[in-house]
This record gives sequence, C-alpha cells and structure tokens, in this order.
Amino acid sequence: MFGRGRGGEAAGSVRRVVPLDPDRSLVRTAQADPARFDALYRKYVAQVYSFAYHELGDHHEAEDVTEQAFLLALGALARFREEAPDDAGPEASTFRVWLLRIARNAIANQRRTVRRRPATPLDAVGEAAAPDDPERAVLARADASAAWAAVARLPGDRRRAVVLRFVEEMTTAEIAGVLGRSEGAVRVLLHRALRSVARDLGERGEAR
Amino acid sequence: MTSAAALESVEIEALVTDRYLDALLAAAERRAPDAPADPSLDPALRRAALRLRDELVRVHPSFRFEERLARRLAEAAAGMRLAVAAGGEGAILPFPGAGDDFRAGDPLVDDPLLRFARGGALRANAALRANAALHGIRLLPRRPLLVGGAVTSAALSLAGAAFVAWRLTRGAPTDPMARAVRLARAARAAREGSPAEPD
Repeated sequence: MFGRGRGGEAAGSVRRVVPLDPDRSLVRTAQADPARFDALYRKYVAQVYSFAYHELGDHHEAEDVTEQAFLLALGALARFREEAPDDAGPEASTFRVWLLRIARNAIANQRRTVRRRPATPLDAVGEAAAPDDPERAVLARADASAAWAAVARLPGDRRRAVVLRFVEEMTTAEIAGVLGRSEGAVRVLLHRALRSVARDLGERGEAR
Repeated sequence: MTSAAALESVEIEALVTDRYLDALLAAAERRAPDAPADPSLDPALRRAALRLRDELVRVHPSFRFEERLARRLAEAAAGMRLAVAAGGEGAILPFPGAGDDFRAGDPLVDDPLLRFARGGALRANAALRANAALHGIRLLPRRPLLVGGAVTSAALSLAGAAFVAWRLTRGAPTDPMARAVRLARAARAAREGSPAEPD
C-alpha cells in the first residue's frame, strides 16, 4: 500500500500510465516556498476539521487537532513524497491521504491527553459527553439524527471508514492509506459498518 | 460453510457494496437521487447507504478560526523561510536541551555571538517544552539546529578583517597627545641607543 511512486514503471518493461496527483503542483510550490502552503491549507482545512469533529464530537478539540495537524504538516512538508497505490483513481490525492493520516494521529494524541486531563464545564456536569465517546457526543446534540447516532455507535475504524467515505468522499484506496490497512480490509469494514447501521436504523424504525 | 468460504463470501459482498458506493457518490455529484446496484446487494444496505449519503455532511470550521490558523501558519512559514535562507551558508549547531551544559573545551564556547545565540536557544527550548507538556505533545530527541547563519557571522568576520587592515595601514596619529607620546618614545630610544619602532 502506498509503496510505489507515481510516474514510475511497472515490473518489466511495460510502461504504466498513472494519473496526475491533483495536488502535485501545489505541494511542489509549497515545498519550494513554505509561504505558499496557504493554498493547500485552504483546500483541506474543512476536511481535516470535519474529520476531527466527527471523531471527537467537540468543536474546540477539533480546532486543536486541526491546528496541530497543519503545523505538523507544514513542518514535515519537505519530507513528503508522492506515493500512491496502483489502482488509485484520477481524483486520488496522496497529499490528502498523508494529511489525514497526520490528523488521525493528532486525534489519537488528543484523546490520550483528554483522558489524562478530563475537563468539564460546571454547567455541563452530568450531561457532557466524554470527548473519546463519539456515541454520547452525538446523542447529546439536540439535532442529532438517527443516522448520525448509528454511525457514532460504530467501533473505531468502522466509524472512521464511514466518515472518510461519505463525508470526505474518499476512495477505498485513500481510506486504506489513512487507516494503514489493505483495501480489502477497508471494503469489509465499510460493508460491516453499513450492515450495522442498517440493522440499527431498522430496529429503531428509522429506515426509510 | 467453511470459514474460508465465509470469508470469501463476505469479501465478495463487500466488493459489491463498494462498487455501489462508488456509483452512489458519483451520482451525488450529478445530483442523481440513486445509482444502479447489483441485484445481489441487500436492499437494507442500499437504504442505509442512501441515508448516510444524505445525512452525513461535512462540518466547517468557523471563519475566525480558519483565519487565525492561516495567520499562525504564515508566521511559521516565514520562520522556515528565514532558516532556509540562512541555511545556504550557515553552520549547523547542536540545539541545547533544557538541562544541557556547554562542554569544556568546546571552541565555540568562547564565541560571544554563539554564546548569546545558544542562550536564546535555551530559553526558546524551555518554552517549547512547557508548551509541549501543556498540549501533551511528545518531543523528539534533540537535533541539530541552524543558529545565526552566514549573514551575521560573515558580517562580523568582514568587520574584523577590515579593522585589522585599518590598524595596519593607518598613518601617524595627528592629535597633539599622540605626537607628544611619539616624540617622548623617540627621545627615550635615542638615549638608549636604539632606533624608535615605527608606529
């Protein structure tokens, strides 16, 4: 997974035609001049923030994670290498996968930090959701839909795969890159997640 | 059904589901309500996928946060540009840890400019560690850091060379006190029978 550089050749002398990473020019520009990182930031800030928010269920923590992820990405941009799986689609961005992988690690760090130093406003005691408990976080929202709640009840990687697929509209190959799993494993994760959501909605009489 | 056959069956079902999701998300871009699906796809899964496509939406950060982070990134990028610019001719120095002492016999210790720079680095390092502890970020072991850079050190070297050259080539002093000192020294040398050294 993500082991072969784009633009390379397949085994033997058969030349492989691979799609152009849509972020290639932006990444190269930013690598040459860090001040040009702003274009990549503007393009992906909502995706990183949204991913963090769906995982943590708290706007402030999502902001913290977004900030950490982009600062880390800026600092490590010089070391970024464009790599893609063999069957990545033409819309696949390896920079986006790399960035969301950084965000995923930042989310994990944030959860560990919050577990060590839990803080709850006094007026919310008794009904605040734990930041590492997306199910309670989503259920606590007055406007949370049954579908949202069903997704929040999914276990870790199934939930992440669903959010990345439906919210970030990533391909299976890209999700595999973010989660560090094979594409087959991600397909099975998504399939099982959908089955759980369907069962959950059916049991609650929510299915349309 | 054996476990291997069951696994294969799940993988096939997962592949069918994945193809449907690809078609469904592509249909959303065309604003189509649904996409064709393989007849073997469970209708309950299809309904759940449609529901998730319609109800899972991207959450956007506030404009204020977005602009604040943009400014912070711009500041960080400007710092990186300075380091890169200085890195062309600068020297790599070890970044001192919070508890590090300068080693005895280190030729750099006596350089006042570097001592100043390292003092600043120590203070910056202490602030960095405090901030990392506050946010629960694990810091990597110390790494070399470019300090100062070529502009400052080269400017000092040039200034030193120019000063020495000026001292060696300057003419006789013209102020009265200097003339008096020179005359006194010449007279003393004449008394002692040796020529006075030129200034």
